[in-house]
Amino acid sequence: MANDVNGEHEDDGGMGRLLRERLPRHPAPPVLRAAVVETLMPGRPRQSWWGSWLPPAFSAVATAMIMLLYLAPSLPSAPGTDPVQLVTRAVLAEHARNIFWGQVRADVVPAALPRAMAESGVALSWVFTGDEEIQLIDAKPTYLEGRRGIELTYQDVAGHTITYVIVPGGSVTLPERGRVQIDRWRPVVKTENGFSLIMWRQQGLLCVMASDLVSAEDLARFKQYFVKVRSSTEPYAVY
Amino acid sequence: MADDEFRQQALQHLDALHNLAVYLTRNGSEAEDLVQETYVRAMRFSHRFQPGTHLRAWLFQILRNTFLTFYRLRERESALSEDGVPEGEAPMFHDAASRDSESSGAHMDLDRALTKLPEEFKTPLLLAEVEGLALEDVARIMDCPVGTVKSRIFRAKERLRGYLKDYK
Repeated sequence: MANDVNGEHEDDGGMGRLLRERLPRHPAPPVLRAAVVETLMPGRPRQSWWGSWLPPAFSAVATAMIMLLYLAPSLPSAPGTDPVQLVTRAVLAEHARNIFWGQVRADVVPAALPRAMAESGVALSWVFTGDEEIQLIDAKPTYLEGRRGIELTYQDVAGHTITYVIVPGGSVTLPERGRVQIDRWRPVVKTENGFSLIMWRQQGLLCVMASDLVSAEDLARFKQYFVKVRSSTEPYAVY
Repeated sequence: MADDEFRQQALQHLDALHNLAVYLTRNGSEAEDLVQETYVRAMRFSHRFQPGTHLRAWLFQILRNTFLTFYRLRERESALSEDGVPEGEAPMFHDAASRDSESSGAHMDLDRALTKLPEEFKTPLLLAEVEGLALEDVARIMDCPVGTVKSRIFRAKERLRGYLKDYK
């Protein structure tokens, strides 16, 4: 066989032909072809059906999220799910009852207050009972939105009623929005349904004062009452 | 050249690239690695390819350069004994000796004779005579003048004749 080969390449053209005709060729195996196709066109089959949809879908979702973030603060919050709002409305309801049917109890300090503390689960180390401007007129246990607490009622010299409710704070977080610096405290001050409210947390308790002092002058007076009550009252949860 | 067009055209030369890779490495899996690395590099440097020039020659050039960079270096390392001293005339590539016993056909003699050629003779010979590339393209691939390519092909053929006589 070697003789045959030698006979075929006596000249240059013969050697070239011999190489082309006799030298075995090695075509790429299927595995290599698949690997090279993947190298040249990565992810090509998948792009045919979802590749064209992905960018616009992603863009739409991103736009929706940005719109939501922009509009979320102005959207009305569901009253049934905001614990601060629920407590606020319950306090205002109590306050309205006090205005209409509240009564001045002469025995508030010696009798009503100890009983309220005993039954409410909220005790008071110190309590503001009043001065020449405002007087404590009633104390009773209360129950607001599933929270047992104590309710103190004050009346100022002009006849305005101030309701002060103290309930366990739980996980209720007061918002930063509406906070006002009053003396050395920074409670939330808000107006709701024609009433003024001052809310703060103290010793793990949620404290709310409500009054009908809504004008600027009255609100300033209400803040003074807050300072008096806040600085002279020390509540704590018994349980 | 558009990307898709470039990829499609590059894929057409797969068999030819693999054929040369087999003759260079004398090892199936190494040949596949070499071809795959060639395509990876071609894609990475596709922006350097000038449309209108010979894509086939450009791919062969990448394949040869990759072979020279990695595979010969590896062969050189494997030719060293454990103490780092070269072991005389270690074969650069796997020999096809085992296949000789399976067949005494002319193509096996030719195949074996080809393994004895140095790469700088073997590559231009295969590119010009088997793959049918113009001498100018072969010269570009080999990074040498056309005259040198002609000389190497001539000498390669002479050597082949000599080797083939040995198989008488």
